[in-house]
Amino acid sequence: MDILITLLLIVVLFGFLAGGVWIGLTLSGVAWVAMELFSSRPAGDAMAVTIWGSASSWTLTALPLFVWMGEILFRTRLSQDMFKGLAPWVERLPGRLLHTNVIGCAIFAAVSGSSAATCATIGKMTLPELKKRGYPDDQVIGTLAGAGTLGLLIPPSIIMIVYGVAADVSISKLFIAGIFPGIMLATLFSGYIAVWALMNPDKIPVATASYTFVQKLYESRHLIPVVLLIMAVLGSIYSGIATATEAAGVGVIGSLILSLLQGSLNWQSFKESLLGATRLYCMIALILTGAAFLTLAMGYLGLPRALAEFINALGLSRFMLVVALAAFYILLGCFLDGISMVVLTMGVILPTVTSAGIDLIWFGIFVTLVVEMAQITPPVGFNLFVLQGMTKRELSYIARVAMPMFVLMCIAVLLLYFVPEIATWLPTKM
Amino acid sequence: MRNALDTLYDSAAWIAAMFMVALLVMVMLSVGGRELGFHVRGTDAYAGYMMAGAGFFALAHTLKRGEHIRVTLLLHALAPAARRRMEIFSLGIAVLLAGLLAFFSAKLCWQSWQFHDISTGNDATPLWIPQISMALGTLILFVAFVDEFVCELRGTRKAYASDELLRNE
Repeated sequence: MDILITLLLIVVLFGFLAGGVWIGLTLSGVAWVAMELFSSRPAGDAMAVTIWGSASSWTLTALPLFVWMGEILFRTRLSQDMFKGLAPWVERLPGRLLHTNVIGCAIFAAVSGSSAATCATIGKMTLPELKKRGYPDDQVIGTLAGAGTLGLLIPPSIIMIVYGVAADVSISKLFIAGIFPGIMLATLFSGYIAVWALMNPDKIPVATASYTFVQKLYESRHLIPVVLLIMAVLGSIYSGIATATEAAGVGVIGSLILSLLQGSLNWQSFKESLLGATRLYCMIALILTGAAFLTLAMGYLGLPRALAEFINALGLSRFMLVVALAAFYILLGCFLDGISMVVLTMGVILPTVTSAGIDLIWFGIFVTLVVEMAQITPPVGFNLFVLQGMTKRELSYIARVAMPMFVLMCIAVLLLYFVPEIATWLPTKM
Repeated sequence: MRNALDTLYDSAAWIAAMFMVALLVMVMLSVGGRELGFHVRGTDAYAGYMMAGAGFFALAHTLKRGEHIRVTLLLHALAPAARRRMEIFSLGIAVLLAGLLAFFSAKLCWQSWQFHDISTGNDATPLWIPQISMALGTLILFVAFVDEFVCELRGTRKAYASDELLRNE
């Protein structure tokens, strides 16, 4: 009987979601019904207390600040500067300026917590510049779509904060754990570009300028501001001077100073970044608080424990479990955004993961990677939407040219499984 | 009426933005305090309250700008008439849920005041004070949903084509 009601709730949940009811409200609504049915605790009061608790929780305060930092940097000339600083170094590599997509995204990811923001900020510069120089659209758009997702894996990362709060794992440790997997994935992307360029030498335009080593170093001065900002944010976390929240605060101040020095800070851009960040945070908060209440209600239902017991009884090997979870998230990622996906499933899946003996830091990186894949899987993928807006191409076209990046991410998941130290080694050195 | 409502949402958004700045100030106070050796009691808890304020007061404005996430896949695939029915259905549900949320938020705030509920942190704030942001914010969200619902019924609902939505994760 309970199983039947649980199934009914899941059907209602996905029915509401598919019907276009706002995600955050749907989560708390379904949770409210579940609590009314399954527990004697007054559902409405539990809802208000849980939502208040998660909306005012100190651990989450890093989130709005990192969102704000991204909004400020989006309105600076940072991406132009990065292009100028990077271009001389990659002209001689096979694939030439295509690498500015990957390296640019990887560097910007280290000051931005969002995949779509990284994609939009770097694309704003590389899309027109590479097109002007005659690089093939397929590769320019495909690699940008893939590399933009590094925004999530390379710290700071919105999705890691969300996961850290949901799984009660140190956000600072998660951030540090993301560094090597991020570099690994960026290397895979760049390696792919190089191999592709060697196989299709006629499709890459010739180098436009040549630089001496000294000139290259001189051009690199454009990278100094972003490097300083990365050191301030990640350096303070790694050395233990600051918590993730405090690093976010430092990041906001640093970004404001950077945009002041560049001359892009004025009342208009400050106002836009502040209101934009407030709205973005508000959207995420509505989902997070709804999910917090849903997680509580699921606990009353006993769903997480039942699922863990069910999966244990299946006797899957750990590898099969990870593969099954990856497949599940990739499927879910086709229809839901990453944050909803994580908060919706964490409360239910974590007991299963813990009882299988999987390290929660490692699992956080794994989840971040599969959420990255969700960014470029149609029909719902935020990087696809961003690039659709920027290039005016069909969604299906962008998804198709991004396909090789998707395959590379699958390879990254496998590498992460077989060599877990890629993620777990660095946090132990903090 | 239209103007009054829009002013309400926009003023609430500005209050939210102020809370965001206040959150930054709180966090920087705690960093600065540790580096420079002064101590401000309860900055962690205050930062949490500021964050709550920023989130709750911006709810209605964010909705009006079309930036709260929903799955629009099915909605966009439907013919106009069916789509309208679906919009009315989802807005109807949303009005109910937002009403529920607003009611219990107000109740929580009122009870905290009634029972002199004090924060367990070292800030010892009477909890009803920060909880006002939750009570008011969810109430304004409820008003905004009713507003949207009525506009949809009258056929005057504006669809915001926002590109900011695209930078959200």
